[in-house]
Amino acid sequence: MTAHRQSETGEKVDPAPRSWGHAASLSQAKLPSLAVRAGRGEATSVLVATVALVAFISILHPEFLRVGQLLDTLQSAVYVGLLACGMAYLLSMREIDLSVGSTFGLTVVATGLMMNEGLPAWPAAVLGIVLGGFLGLVNALIVQFVGIPAIVATLATLSVFRGLTLALSDGKQVTGLPLESSFFTLLGGKTFGVPTSVWVLILIAVVLTLVLRFTPFGYRVRSIGSNPDAATFSGISIAKVRMQALVLIGLLAGLSGVLGLAFFTSGDPNIGTGFELQAIAAAIIGGTPLRGGSATVIGACLGAVLLSVVTSGLQYFNIPANWSAFATGGVILAAVALDSLVRRRRRRESAKLGL
Amino acid sequence: MTVLRAQNITKTYGGVTALADGAMNIEPGSVHALLGENGAGKSTMVKVLAGTIRPDAGTLTMDGRPVAFHSTADAVRHGVAVVSQELNLFPDLDILANLFPLREPRRGPFLNRRAMADAARPILTRLGLNVDLRTLVRELSLGQRQLVEIARALLAEPRVLILDEPTSALDRDGSDRLLGILEVLRERQVGVVFVSHILEEVMQLCDTITVLRDGNTVLSGADRADLRIDDIVSAMLGPRPDREAAPPPVPPQAANGPELRLDKVSVDEVMTGVDLRVHAGEIIGVTGLAGAGHLAVLELVAGLRRPSSGTVRLPGDRPVPRGLRRAIGAGVAVVSGDRRGRGLMLDQPIWQNIGQVRSIGLSRDGLVVRKSALRGRARGHVDRLRIRCRDVDQRVGLLSGGNQQKVVMAKWLDASPAVLLLDDPTRGVDVGAKAEIHDLIRKAAADGAVVLLASTDLEELAELCHSVLVFYRGQVAARLSGADLDQHTIVRVSNTGEHG
Repeated sequence: MTAHRQSETGEKVDPAPRSWGHAASLSQAKLPSLAVRAGRGEATSVLVATVALVAFISILHPEFLRVGQLLDTLQSAVYVGLLACGMAYLLSMREIDLSVGSTFGLTVVATGLMMNEGLPAWPAAVLGIVLGGFLGLVNALIVQFVGIPAIVATLATLSVFRGLTLALSDGKQVTGLPLESSFFTLLGGKTFGVPTSVWVLILIAVVLTLVLRFTPFGYRVRSIGSNPDAATFSGISIAKVRMQALVLIGLLAGLSGVLGLAFFTSGDPNIGTGFELQAIAAAIIGGTPLRGGSATVIGACLGAVLLSVVTSGLQYFNIPANWSAFATGGVILAAVALDSLVRRRRRRESAKLGL
Repeated sequence: MTVLRAQNITKTYGGVTALADGAMNIEPGSVHALLGENGAGKSTMVKVLAGTIRPDAGTLTMDGRPVAFHSTADAVRHGVAVVSQELNLFPDLDILANLFPLREPRRGPFLNRRAMADAARPILTRLGLNVDLRTLVRELSLGQRQLVEIARALLAEPRVLILDEPTSALDRDGSDRLLGILEVLRERQVGVVFVSHILEEVMQLCDTITVLRDGNTVLSGADRADLRIDDIVSAMLGPRPDREAAPPPVPPQAANGPELRLDKVSVDEVMTGVDLRVHAGEIIGVTGLAGAGHLAVLELVAGLRRPSSGTVRLPGDRPVPRGLRRAIGAGVAVVSGDRRGRGLMLDQPIWQNIGQVRSIGLSRDGLVVRKSALRGRARGHVDRLRIRCRDVDQRVGLLSGGNQQKVVMAKWLDASPAVLLLDDPTRGVDVGAKAEIHDLIRKAAADGAVVLLASTDLEELAELCHSVLVFYRGQVAARLSGADLDQHTIVRVSNTGEHG
């Protein structure tokens, strides 16, 4: 029963689940030390797993620890990372968006095409993000007015958006972009020695964490995932919140696409294929459970980083290219299994206390 | 010759006696009603007869030989079957597949659909279900599904059939259909146990009556012809209690204050021409048999239903907005007895549940939700409502039922509602917590809320309400208050629609 579920987000975990009813423990419970909180934080296991994996690769191949290599790894995690942030919101309200990879691709190509049509780079980029939000709205409207689950609606738009991308670009790379624009040099380059897109991801992750933890919207998202009926019976409109969340993830996919265009400096119509599954994997590895009710945005970002470490780390091992997908899947399975084991043990500990 | 005889059946659960020395004689071709209030021991008796549970003491004899049922399947083998209220059918399979869930005739590894149809058709025709056997059960009406279930039971050639609350609403069709079913059962010499709370139906359909009260048999196998509804009500509720030491508080004289108003409200096939006024400070009960229309009053006020004619106005003479969410925004609170389904997020801490309406659903506290403020407020409620918990960070799922229900009350009181709708607010709550929740409801009314209470607990209605409206077939049959307001009168009016 739900009664035995362990609360999933670090913040909401009972501060003193291991000390029953002692008045003295109350004062401690109010202010658990930072170390304790971090130790119980849900993103911890993915962080530990990532660090362990980096250490493992570095021991065998010290050149992996080069700053340049690590920054490249981070850079390539940004695109899935942004999608995973939005996916964490959706999963925590028991929804899912399968079209984000295609939204990403369509934004990349459409933004490039707008620049080719003579629109200056920055306005085109803004329009690209708006386009992403619009595609999210399209998903939301389909869900609302056709009355089908988001997983079905976005399964269809996964194809629709990708098809649009191929049709608009005629199946060819979009090139000949105004690369001298500050858009490409700034967003595609580095700021304070770190890729600008990584700064963007960090900013977004912080903002979305604050939204999740400190706004009615963030609470509503998690309330719906925890008990949809109770949410309805508390004055929360599931339809409205779902619409907001789908537009949010669309905007994130748009932003991700614009950053991708700035970095790749050309628009491949097949770019972002499969990103939706990577984003879901990243969110789950990060500690957002599929059953809903809680989410961790930081965890989702770290999940994306872990996936990126696996991909770039595999290049150091002489794994034939055709086996790399197999290896990636294995690592995902291992990461999720580890997390699940840790959780189960924790749950058993609380069960022993008669919880 | 008695088919099934139960004698001295006793069953206790954790020290509580659910049934003491229960007895029933079931005769072939005769219908035996089993009656009693909630918790009287009816379902325990049914479970013993059907083999679901084994009694602590007592004997069952079939055709004079002692038997012991080890399971429901065992009881079925002996010829005792149950048709229960929740229909146990597979909606996505057709009628034929539903009729033979286990004992289907086969031809090699395949179902022999023709043999199945040949066996089923005479029974279905006799019951009056003339529908293509390939029709999916999902597409049948509730009444037709019931016939399918009866047919399924009959195909096993039972000697005893237990009909557990077979009709939930007082509709003519339902009673006529049941009459037809019982005729078939009588002619097949099946002994029928009929469990119901609709006394009018019982008087029409049954031959003998057994009434349980608090686990004891107060009327054993009495002949229906010798009884009136009043006798049965008295048997079910026991002697009329003296008025409680503290009479219900006098309703406030606030005739000019804010009021909830229903004017000539009709809802198609649910209620006709209902008038109702509830002033701020009043607690008004609504009750009736299932389907009588009393629950629709709550749904109308909560914006879940629209009237087909007439008007519903909230205090301050505002219309009820369309939809639950807007109604909540307009100050309506909905406390449901279904706390696990509709009330709480069991995996979340107390403070988050308590703040869910005011701060999150209605975002009355601005665009930033401050956890410390929510916890502070929750602590206030925990103290005031005496919610027993470790602290407000404890997950609600770990609290006892009574304390969980208090959290539900707290989350609504937190939003200071103008209208408090209570639907079985103390379902499954222990006596102590119940009294405390009653105090909370009285206090909320005294603080100026309009309170509407629907409850299956008649004692609660009689104790808590200034007056109670009893619904009968979609109309208000009586408005009881003062000396008139007691459980006996409520049951009698609910069943007969007559007062006075």
